[in-house]
Amino acid sequence: MIKVHHLQKTYKGVTVLNIPQLEIQTGELIGLVGNNGAGKTTLLRLMLDLISATSGEVYIKSENVAKNEDWKSYTAAYLDDGFLIGYLTPEEYFYFTGSLHNRSKADVDDYLQEFTDFFDGSILQSGKYIRDLSKGNQFKVGIAACLMQNPELLLLDEPFSNLDPTSQSRLVQLLKQLQQQKRMTIIVSSHDLNHIADLSTRVLLLEKGNLIKDIHRSEQTLDELENYFSV
Amino acid sequence: MNLIFTFLSHEIKALIRGSGAGKSIAMQIFVGIIIIYCLASAFLLGIMLDRLLTKGFPQGNAVAIFCSFLLYYFLGDLVFRFFMQELPTLSVKPYLCKNIRKRSLVSFLNIRSVFHYINLLPLILLLPFCFSGLKNYNIAGSIALVLSIIGLTLFNNFLLLYLKRKSILQLKWFIGFFAGLLILAALDYFNVLPLSYLSEQLFIAVIRQPLLSLAFIGVAVWAWWLNTSYLRHNLYIEEKISIGVKTSASYSWLSRWGTTGEMVALDFKLIFRNKRPRSVVLMSSLLLLYGFIFYRPEYMNLRNGLGYLVFAAIFVTGSFIINYGNFLFAWQSSHFDGLMANNISIRQYIKSKLLLFSLAGTVSFLLTSFYAFIDWRLLPLQLAAFLFNVGCTSIFSVYLATFSNKGIDLGKSATFNYQGTGVAQWVYALLVLLVPVAIYAPLAILFNYWVGMAALGGIGLISWLMQPWWIEILYKEFKKRKYVILDGFREK
Repeated sequence: MIKVHHLQKTYKGVTVLNIPQLEIQTGELIGLVGNNGAGKTTLLRLMLDLISATSGEVYIKSENVAKNEDWKSYTAAYLDDGFLIGYLTPEEYFYFTGSLHNRSKADVDDYLQEFTDFFDGSILQSGKYIRDLSKGNQFKVGIAACLMQNPELLLLDEPFSNLDPTSQSRLVQLLKQLQQQKRMTIIVSSHDLNHIADLSTRVLLLEKGNLIKDIHRSEQTLDELENYFSV
Repeated sequence: MNLIFTFLSHEIKALIRGSGAGKSIAMQIFVGIIIIYCLASAFLLGIMLDRLLTKGFPQGNAVAIFCSFLLYYFLGDLVFRFFMQELPTLSVKPYLCKNIRKRSLVSFLNIRSVFHYINLLPLILLLPFCFSGLKNYNIAGSIALVLSIIGLTLFNNFLLLYLKRKSILQLKWFIGFFAGLLILAALDYFNVLPLSYLSEQLFIAVIRQPLLSLAFIGVAVWAWWLNTSYLRHNLYIEEKISIGVKTSASYSWLSRWGTTGEMVALDFKLIFRNKRPRSVVLMSSLLLLYGFIFYRPEYMNLRNGLGYLVFAAIFVTGSFIINYGNFLFAWQSSHFDGLMANNISIRQYIKSKLLLFSLAGTVSFLLTSFYAFIDWRLLPLQLAAFLFNVGCTSIFSVYLATFSNKGIDLGKSATFNYQGTGVAQWVYALLVLLVPVAIYAPLAILFNYWVGMAALGGIGLISWLMQPWWIEILYKEFKKRKYVILDGFREK
């Protein structure tokens, strides 16, 4: 699904990301971990062609993302509130995103029914613009809009950090289901080692821009991660 | 009192070290020069007011005329303030839970509001006359008039802040304010309550009876007290702001253009729901009236006289394209990441901007077609200008937008706000107005104005028909600088 080739990103002489080779197969659920500044967001942004690579390329389905826009039709991402449009109501945002994937309003309404529990009554018909929602609710809007696109590839940056515990568990369940039932390829970055060890099929550990661990999940994964991060 | 000075020093630091301010010294100097220029012009006008009034109304008495204008001035001042003066509220937040008495916070807020350039304006415009114009009266009269003007300025300052604070919470205050002004204007217009007469009587009385001026100081103190008592009870204002229920809207007629239309609908929502683009569009619609100043019969009758008017026609029919197009992508800087990662191709994005311009240009053209009543030749002239705006200016706007990587905070007001302004914006404004004149003028002088118009409109139409070709070029230009734009917009 994704191929990273000699990817390097340098800011003012400092290399913030350096991944010589990385391949991600269709249907993998990748947990991306690493301390602040390890390069998680940089990697995700490079995959979405939002920043330029100093050298190297990212290929999605063998197409260079910087040269071709086809990936946009089957990739959904939520990295931060820069993906939301603050002056829309949540409904308008869903309709807008839906329209980009040729979904009618009725389709979108049907689809949102499934999120009734996740939204917990505080998002739809709230009479607020997205900019007036709390951080956590903004995240829910962003994530729901991603899932609504029924993408083949899903990128989420620290989705758990702003969610309440109930929603966190719901999201974990949801992501697992999508991976198992729809063979969706998912990359999730997080600081929550429990969630990562629980949901991922493969864990990538970044340190100062280098990929230092690439492990398939097993019973020991959590211990291994906790060992690395403990001081 | 000590504390107030501390607050003031914090304010000055905020001004100097603010994220927007520190970035470009040149821009600050520029804004400073503009403000100084305005104040200097006002000062000059103030000094010459005496002579101007004597000349302008040779049969009248300058003092009486000055006095009869004063009430109008302060009413206008109130309206002007409503748009220009912002509440000094947010800056108080970090102090709320410190060991600081509410009283000093409230008096700081009040004192802070006095330090606004708007308060300087009436003083330098009106005070010189109080001495130069009142030579025939004794000095006590002058001082009384000065005190009255200062009193009214402060009264306006505090009254407006009070009204604004009230109208944030309840719309009815806002409506009441404007309804009151309209009623006053109507009463004046129909001579029921002639303000000029009232004003004259009032201020002449003040000059004769200097002690009367204390009444104006009195109303200023009253307005101060209104604010103080209100703020003491409502310092935690946010709890009370009742945000109106926001409803969804859809512009279904745009959906015939598919994704491109959806993007245009997004632009509409951006304009109507955010402060800065809204005020820019408001300004553009005021510019539609520019024709009343420029389209003068005396220009029409000169040989080739329409040449002057091309400039005006471009301005009138293209005010929206020029004003909104100046920042084109930057309006969406806060969610540009999302737009670029979503299922929108860059070509569609560019196309949506051109469609927006075509729609807005057509609306401006239709709205301004009434100028044909002044002279029918204005209609073909505006048609040519419209075609040029929609065909060429729009392309040029998108092209220059690919060079602009400074984001815009949608919530800030537009006056004296140069956030997001860079060299590209100035080049843009200059070229957009000069190029059409450069096309039109030589042909109009060499042949006649019909040839000039035909050339201008023809070039615009051809360019408009070539849009698919332009989009390819703009796409390539955009791709070259995509990351620079994205990086710039992400920076806050």
